[in-house]
Amino acid sequence: MKSKSVIYFLMLFLIGGISSSYADDFSDAILKAKKDFKSANDKSDQDGMIKARGEFERILQLKKNQWLVDYYLADVDFALSYVVMQSNDKDNIKKYTESSLQLLDKSTDMKDDFAEAYILKMAVNGNRWMYEPDKMNDILAKTNEATDKAKKLEPDNPRFYVISGMNLYYTPETFGGGASAAQPLFEKAYELFQNRKEKDDTYPSWGYDLSAGMLAMCYIKQDKLDDAKKYIDKGLEIDPESGFILNVVKKDYDDKIKK
Amino acid sequence: MKYLIIIHCLIVLLLLNLSPVYGQNADTLNISSVKISGKVLGEKQKPLYGANIVIEGSIDGATSDSAGYFEFETTKTGRQILIATSIDYKEQSREIRLEPGKNIEINFQLARSEVSTEEIIVTASTYTSGQSSEVTLTPLEIVRVPGSDADLYRAITTFPGSNQVDEGSKITVRGGDADEVLTIIDQASVYNPFLFDDDYNTSTFSTIDPWGLRGINFSSGGFSAKWGNALSAVLDLKSYEMPQLVGLFLWLGLTGPSISGAYLSKDKKIGLSLEASRTFLEPFFKLNKDNTDFSPIPLAQGIGGTVSYKLSKLGFLKLYADYSGDKIGIRNTSPSYDGYFKSNSDNYFSNLKLSAGSNSTYLDASLSFSYHKKEMDYGVLNDAEKDIYSKLRADISHSVSKLIHLNTGLEYEYDGNRFSGTVPIFPYDMKPGAPSYGVSSNKITARIGGYFESEFRFSKKFFSIAGIRTDVHTLSKQITFDPRLSLVYKIAKDNVIRGAIGLYHQYPELLYYAQTQSNSLKPEQAIHYILGYELNKLNGVLLFRVEAYYKDYRSLVLYDNNSFLYNTNGSGYARGVDVFLKSSIVNKYTAWISYSYTDSKRRQFNSAPLTSADYDITHSLSFVGSYNITDNLTAGISYKISTGKPYTPVEGNYYDTTLNLYTPIYGVYNSDRFPVYQRMDVTLQYVFSIFGRFAVGVISLDNVLNNRNLYGYTYNSDYTQKLKIYSTNKRIVYLGLGLQI
Repeated sequence: MKSKSVIYFLMLFLIGGISSSYADDFSDAILKAKKDFKSANDKSDQDGMIKARGEFERILQLKKNQWLVDYYLADVDFALSYVVMQSNDKDNIKKYTESSLQLLDKSTDMKDDFAEAYILKMAVNGNRWMYEPDKMNDILAKTNEATDKAKKLEPDNPRFYVISGMNLYYTPETFGGGASAAQPLFEKAYELFQNRKEKDDTYPSWGYDLSAGMLAMCYIKQDKLDDAKKYIDKGLEIDPESGFILNVVKKDYDDKIKK
Repeated sequence: MKYLIIIHCLIVLLLLNLSPVYGQNADTLNISSVKISGKVLGEKQKPLYGANIVIEGSIDGATSDSAGYFEFETTKTGRQILIATSIDYKEQSREIRLEPGKNIEINFQLARSEVSTEEIIVTASTYTSGQSSEVTLTPLEIVRVPGSDADLYRAITTFPGSNQVDEGSKITVRGGDADEVLTIIDQASVYNPFLFDDDYNTSTFSTIDPWGLRGINFSSGGFSAKWGNALSAVLDLKSYEMPQLVGLFLWLGLTGPSISGAYLSKDKKIGLSLEASRTFLEPFFKLNKDNTDFSPIPLAQGIGGTVSYKLSKLGFLKLYADYSGDKIGIRNTSPSYDGYFKSNSDNYFSNLKLSAGSNSTYLDASLSFSYHKKEMDYGVLNDAEKDIYSKLRADISHSVSKLIHLNTGLEYEYDGNRFSGTVPIFPYDMKPGAPSYGVSSNKITARIGGYFESEFRFSKKFFSIAGIRTDVHTLSKQITFDPRLSLVYKIAKDNVIRGAIGLYHQYPELLYYAQTQSNSLKPEQAIHYILGYELNKLNGVLLFRVEAYYKDYRSLVLYDNNSFLYNTNGSGYARGVDVFLKSSIVNKYTAWISYSYTDSKRRQFNSAPLTSADYDITHSLSFVGSYNITDNLTAGISYKISTGKPYTPVEGNYYDTTLNLYTPIYGVYNSDRFPVYQRMDVTLQYVFSIFGRFAVGVISLDNVLNNRNLYGYTYNSDYTQKLKIYSTNKRIVYLGLGLQI
């Protein structure tokens, strides 16, 4: 009967409306939290970052894609660990690093094929050298495990190459690391970012400015200052507010110019 | 008409519901909001910065500032739950009633969450591998040990104190016999993990797959009260509850293929695995120009599988079943008979395991069954042996506090042995038709065992395990009580002293009871005294261990040459020092050196003096090195040199006129030794991908220097000439390719 099908159609629309309204609540909340985190992070504003962390934590209450929210919480904790690193506060570095790793484990327990979580694990494990270098073999084992998984899941994720590159960049040259060893990885990341389309707006989208900035850092180390300037400008074109380029890379560049 | 009303209601609902899409904004919708504020305090009443407060089910909330103060507005009303969280603190929730316009002030006092130390304490004489960082050897390192052929037992013999039996997988530990080593998989005892066991000049292989193991704990002495009926050592293995690598994997080796597959359901609750293998040795013998006289060529095959079900976060049910069998005929030239030694064996093993509990109290239960049949034929010797084992076991572990942890368990094991056949009367006359007698024995026993032990963490530096176990043997009507104590003391950072002392019993094999007076064999006994020191720098970059031990053996099974019966009047001792030095950096290299000195003596026969035990290997030195040439290519080398095994020399002959042949006159038991044993193996492993799939290739060269090691001595028919029987393990090439399908 026509009335019956109208009812079913309306019910579907109603259900769809309910779920899409929650979905919109979720996406809106994530996008706002991402934006607040980014602007606080660019200024290394610890207070702002903690507030943004709270925003993400509250999104857990919507009980949607909690593995993604845990990822972002881990990301903020990792960023906070860098802020406290400035004052060499070992206890807090440990606190934020362990919290970040636990959240990433929770995320991968819920969804084990989210490559971004493994990519972040690759980076966060690096902090452990600062407060427990005697767990050397465990740090290496966990980093390698995360690297293997990330590569298997998304071999063309540019963030994989940014983090792999950064790990290699900060490895001493005697162990095969350094700027020249890491540069090809940043180039690959930069190239992959050019055509990168994320699954949707709520997925992580960081790293483009990092890849340009790290290339600039490589060139600075090799005294190729013109190339460095080129990538600093490119980086600022991609993201004019980029805290990494404005505060870290530019400072390095300016120091080198003075010499 | 009815439908029109329903449609009307739905449209109203739909319109009402679409409003959240436009955001709930107190101003535009003109709904009055409530302000919630307060303070969050942490430990010692200090304000907590960065704590998160939220209304359950919504994103309304705020973070506390450096004074612990928070405030936010919400349009929610009625009964709500307010949740406060902070890193390293336990979550707290409070119920509140929200009325429009009525602001609320509420404070929280959060408590620190307990930090659980994942630290697993390693006790004396223990080599572990698993998911903790106290690892001595990882499954990958085991698989890469050159010359081990990815065999767990062979890899273990590169540790100090362990030696191979005839270059095979069977191991003897610290001067004890091979049957003094107990293998456990998921609480079930595995009595026949080997193929080609006890076969003439044939190295045994184990049927256990190291990749399926999540924990390997090898104790070469001083092990806890958990394990009974073992005199020397325990290999405690735990498998993965759920399959780890899903998919199909094919291995093409020069000795034959094997295929394995695993499946995991989408919700990760059900896991299945299957594995099958068979040897095809013709290409292997051709390539290695092996002209050992086989008839038939050795054949081994196996098939097995698991079914797992995840009951809860920590609860599992797993069924494991497998079959393996072998067949071989190998020419043996002995003084009285020149012919083929033939044997075949079948092994069935299955284990149903249940694990359940919480983080503080855990139950492990296992019901296992195994059947082993072996037939041997050589000249007049022709026999068949059948063993049946069945065991029901349950273990409970409970954390009383962070300092005390209790373990207790109970087991019931049924053991049946049936032996029948024709046995030569004189061991020096084996030819068909030689004097012989028929044997038929059928022995059954049950062993009931229980234990109780307590783990104490006295301080950050001192840890001890004290336990006691008892075992009752129904056939011999014997009961034993074994107290055991283990101590670990951290004298300084990276420096540990370990000690253990304990009483160990093992009931003799059922076959011996057939030749006794009314099953009156006492359980064999050993008292272990162990003391050792370890230095561990940077979590394995430098690991050094030295350990001294003394084992006092009593009531050993002894053969009475006068009555032709067995008794337990034997005794002996084993003492020595084990030294272990290992260095490894993950993904770069792994290397270790083991040295052991052993002095092990026993009385093997009635009214005989103490002589060398069968595995009294005085000096033994092993070196294993594995190096990552690139991320994909690994090279490994291993080298072993050790004192020759003891043997009993023949000192003369005597012509037996009734039998019309020469009989040997033996010297003192085990008074002579084989020449020095040595062997070097190298291996190359390459990990790559074919068609986007994982693949691994292996080339190994075993016994690179082609050392002619001795398997044994034989004699000519009048015992005037001693003839060497060399081991069949000459220089051997092995190739293998593994593919993920």
